[in-house]
Amino acid sequence: MSDFIAKEGIQNLHKPGEKLITTHCCYCGMQCGMHIRVNKSSGKVVGVEPRYDWPVTNGKMCPKGVTAYQTIDHQDRITKPLIKKNGEFVESSWKEALDLIEKNFKRLQEESGKDALSVFGGVSMTNEKCYLVGKYARVGLGTRYLDYNGRFCMSSAAGGFIQTFGVDRGSTLPWTELEHSDCFFLAGSNTAECHPTSIQWFWKAKDKGAKLIVADPRETPTARVADVHLDLKPGTDSALANGMLHLIIKEGYVDKEYVSKRCNNFEELKQNVDKFTPEYTSEITGVAVEKLIKAAHIYGMSPRSVVMFARGVEQQSKGVDNVRLYSSMALLRGQVGKFASGVATFTGQGNGQGGREHGQKSDLLPGYRKLTDPAAVEYISSIWGIDPSEMPKPGVSAYEMFGEIEKGNIRGMHVICSNPAVSAPNLEHIWNGFKKLDFLVVSDFFLSETASFADVVLPATTWAEDEGTTTNIEGRVIRIRKVTDPIGESKPDWEILSLIAERMGKGKHFLYNEAGEIFDEFRLATKGGKADYYGITWDRIDRENGVFWPCPAEDHPGTPTMFEESFYTEDGKANLGVVGWKEAGEVPTKDYPLFLTTGRVVFHYLSGNQTRRVDFLMEQCPEPFAEMHPALASRYQLEDGDMVKLKTPRSHMTVKTKITKAIRKDTVFVPYHWGKELAVNQLTSDCLDPISRMPEFKVCALQMEKLPAKKEGITRE
Amino acid sequence: MNKIMYLEFERCIGCRACQAACRECGDHDAKERNYVEYVDFTESRQTYPMLCMQCKDPACARVCPANAIQITDEGVVLSAMEEKCIGCRNCTFGCPFGIPKFDFEENKMYKCDMCYDRSKHDIAPMCASVCPSDAIRFIDFDEMQQLRRRRSQMNLVEGKKPQEGNKWEYVPEFFGVYTD
Amino acid sequence: MKSLERSFYSKSSKYSFIVVLLLFFSIWIGTENFLHFDMALMGYLISSLIFAIGLTIRMSSWLLRPATRQVIQRSLKNLRQRKYKRRNMKAILKTAFENIFLQKFIFKRGIYRGVQHFLIAWGCIGSFAITFGLTFGWMHFELVDPETYTIVVMGVETISMAAHGLFAEMVYNGLNITASMVLIGVCMALTRRIINEDVKVTQRAEFDLFPLFLLLAVTVTGLLLTVSYVLLDGWMHHYMTLVHQVTVVVLLIYFPFGKLFHLPIRPLTTAVPMNYQEEWKVDTRPCLRCGTVYSSDPQVSDVKEILSVQQFDLQLEDGSYLSDYCPACRRRIRVMKQLNNQPHLQQGHNPILTRNGSEMSGFGSRRTDDYYNFPDHVQKELEQHKEEGGNER
Repeated sequence: MSDFIAKEGIQNLHKPGEKLITTHCCYCGMQCGMHIRVNKSSGKVVGVEPRYDWPVTNGKMCPKGVTAYQTIDHQDRITKPLIKKNGEFVESSWKEALDLIEKNFKRLQEESGKDALSVFGGVSMTNEKCYLVGKYARVGLGTRYLDYNGRFCMSSAAGGFIQTFGVDRGSTLPWTELEHSDCFFLAGSNTAECHPTSIQWFWKAKDKGAKLIVADPRETPTARVADVHLDLKPGTDSALANGMLHLIIKEGYVDKEYVSKRCNNFEELKQNVDKFTPEYTSEITGVAVEKLIKAAHIYGMSPRSVVMFARGVEQQSKGVDNVRLYSSMALLRGQVGKFASGVATFTGQGNGQGGREHGQKSDLLPGYRKLTDPAAVEYISSIWGIDPSEMPKPGVSAYEMFGEIEKGNIRGMHVICSNPAVSAPNLEHIWNGFKKLDFLVVSDFFLSETASFADVVLPATTWAEDEGTTTNIEGRVIRIRKVTDPIGESKPDWEILSLIAERMGKGKHFLYNEAGEIFDEFRLATKGGKADYYGITWDRIDRENGVFWPCPAEDHPGTPTMFEESFYTEDGKANLGVVGWKEAGEVPTKDYPLFLTTGRVVFHYLSGNQTRRVDFLMEQCPEPFAEMHPALASRYQLEDGDMVKLKTPRSHMTVKTKITKAIRKDTVFVPYHWGKELAVNQLTSDCLDPISRMPEFKVCALQMEKLPAKKEGITRE
Repeated sequence: MNKIMYLEFERCIGCRACQAACRECGDHDAKERNYVEYVDFTESRQTYPMLCMQCKDPACARVCPANAIQITDEGVVLSAMEEKCIGCRNCTFGCPFGIPKFDFEENKMYKCDMCYDRSKHDIAPMCASVCPSDAIRFIDFDEMQQLRRRRSQMNLVEGKKPQEGNKWEYVPEFFGVYTD
Repeated sequence: MKSLERSFYSKSSKYSFIVVLLLFFSIWIGTENFLHFDMALMGYLISSLIFAIGLTIRMSSWLLRPATRQVIQRSLKNLRQRKYKRRNMKAILKTAFENIFLQKFIFKRGIYRGVQHFLIAWGCIGSFAITFGLTFGWMHFELVDPETYTIVVMGVETISMAAHGLFAEMVYNGLNITASMVLIGVCMALTRRIINEDVKVTQRAEFDLFPLFLLLAVTVTGLLLTVSYVLLDGWMHHYMTLVHQVTVVVLLIYFPFGKLFHLPIRPLTTAVPMNYQEEWKVDTRPCLRCGTVYSSDPQVSDVKEILSVQQFDLQLEDGSYLSDYCPACRRRIRVMKQLNNQPHLQQGHNPILTRNGSEMSGFGSRRTDDYYNFPDHVQKELEQHKEEGGNER
């Protein structure tokens, strides 16, 4: 089969001496379609060409996507295994590195038991790799301590969706339908910056008259054109959602037939939101009453509406509650399971959807099976060829693993496709954890901040050097293609994991020659689970522009729209969220009078390990900044560009100020893509959601202090 | 070439994908030739993209003492010919839209050429291809007319029809290569 | 003078006539009343005359362009002013050395390109100097005694040299040396055009390649003449001479009309440091709106003048011209104008209506409340809240 896929009549520029290979972007959940330009004679990647006929993105790309190919053959790539000797990394052979890993892994497990090792996964890689990380931890190493960076990203949405709908698929509708919707309620999502190529659908809908309601403490590029911008205080989403529910019920916008037929708890909900009058809601959230009323009516009057949310509401100690309440807004209006309407979360990581279904989570097995369910354990054990009794028990969440390190329970760790030394909250705790570990292995293709703590760094490949699939923001399973051979001695993650498993004496469970074989095994592993991939094949993906899971059989068309008939809960009904108001884990005090909130900028992706190495992106945004309202700035006598010291109960840092009226007067925003002394996550709160174990990145109490201007600015390492 | 470039400023989300993409074009030497700017960051996050209008009678070419700025058969106004450009920068001051860029070191002017290798085959220029917000589009003349009609209120400033000589003042958001 | 002017169709014909006249006069002097004229060079002579006429016509039509004339006029004015003497000299010398002789700016575009252009440029200039010198009979060699030659320029004996000395060899082989330079340069240029796809994007292949092939033909045939003469005992020498002559004739006639014409206009570069930018990369004129320096007064006034001569009306309502603003402000003015978002335009803040009657919001223009068709009681409630307290930031 050709590696270049384009529909008839679509014109692409084919330069002489080059070929195009069809794939998707390596960054966020939009998974924008693109062709990579490869020089035919040298095999080198030379550029990018838009994939005009990819239905989700129509050839569009954000600056990260346009420059993504530049990370493939980058000068900073790690091309050989690195072993730390006397504090310095030394290039070595694979044999040497594997010997060392085998020796230390075996030693630690002999000394402190199987669970002395841990695996920290990530979801910016293909389904095949994500699936294998789970199998590697549980079969290869036999440890219970397995978790992944989705805990900092998607787990609240997952928790909320499972409680409400019984299954966690990020979007209940395909995004190509968005343009036909009449109203969008976007909470805590700066989609214009974080998922730029999604904005075309909102703008298209807006051209047809759709309305946009955005809840965000900042007037983001998304909120800028909103019909109503609900500029709420950080951490007050559950109050806002309850307030909206109150108005929807009071003004008679409830789809009574739908609710009585398909939802539980309506009476409880009604009673619960009774006290959330616009005045009370306004008092908690800081949003003007008029805006609340206007928003509720615009939302309530729209025949088709979509409620969407992202990290803004999920990365809170009430993340799951927020998701349940916002989802209930759509349920009350009877929107879920219908055309151009529903509920969606914006998946942050490239394979954030697929990666969380395949058993990288401490308590989950492939296909959303629960580790606590004996039948599931039995089924997966049979696929993996192990005895069910060998299956480790559930472990702890990502952030809590560092607590286990502190306690001495975890002594060795393998970090794969993740950079918690930047992306985890309360970083000093994380850094101390890494230092305390007896043995740390990191697989990465750039020397990340996490990798710099490692004893052994294994050179992994980028997304463009391996075949595979990912699952995008909509739940559409798509195909990633190999564009070039691995650079230097780097190997794809699945090969690395298999090699280590072999050294640990589990080689017979990891006999893979290519990614396709893993996909076939994992189709089988998901068969009958909630996230059923059994009917999806690589051929079908090419033919059908991707296939939506669940897809239980090869003749099943896939499921673009979820919950058309019933929900995945036991009784088939959705559970409306009944949650009262609770303060955030940390609220402003006299000493720490302001809110600190964190987020992304359009030019960087997650911990910035990749995007901080791309010239164009660094030219646009070289360092973090503290965004604040001029009214706040003048209280501290700060001018644009002045250095300011930010302090929370955990730590402090110094950044430049950036002044704009497009933010609340009591809130400071800092993007989190930088490491070491530029990492705002040194300051963030480690308060976890009780269900999803998601840290509260979005709300901290902050103290601010002006610093005398330094001439040279910030120095970076 | 039958298509034109069409800008709708308020759609812009300021992601600068167009600029990143501009660097990818053939012969652009990894330097962008378009602009994305904040209207006023202190007030709002509104940005706007700006590119060459590909005037029929370009002021930049008219003020060039070396006669270095050429127009292709399709009507694309090219960067100053490297061999002729004397580096006076008259074009950057003559252009009513502030488009041409000048590289002092290499002594050459460079400007948007609508990704000539793409647009001459009716393939959208890179900026219009990637723009996630459709703020920059590469569309048929008819489609442009429709879009303009939709926004009629904006375009009929003072009820006059723009002329070539004063189009900077009246011209709505369309420009590029078209015939009427 | 007026009557002389009226005797011709146009200025360029007048200048052409004068140039041809002068050339004949110089031949007359140089060949000492046509005594030393070499009839073998007749073909070259005719094509050189056509070359001169072509060049004159192209130069004069170029000088007549408003933009060029404006720049030349300012240069001449500045040259006449005593107080600018230092500056003018500096500008001329610096440009002549760095820009024209060393061609520094091309080296900055890439060493390869720099070397390539340097070889072609100086190879061509050298070749032309020797060719014209010989064809117009401006110089010839005379044997003083069996061991010594002397070079006669314009009938005046200048340098004497040993017939077989190093210097003499260099002089005899002058054309071979310059031709080799051109050959190497042309090969480099052609290679670059074969390897680098990007070069082909906006360049017209014919415009770009034809002169290169022409130069290649001239240098190859020219060098083959030497090969034939020195190594092959003059084999095919006669035919080669003919072929070479044909290529040179084509080159000379093509020269004023193609890409190579950039050579005679290059000295205009001097105008930049002399008129506009005393110090490289330093601007002096502030933008009317934001105050950033972006140009110099003489340049902006020249640009305004050139535009007004050509009926470009770029004046704003307040009397300022667009060239008074820096490029960034001009872009902003343009955007704001289009969005009716200039303070003096009253209708600026209305939402934009789409075809199907829905309002598009953007740029601070909010949708009006009636767009939403709220029930009356809601509308009243909203208005009441609005009155009670502003919620706008």
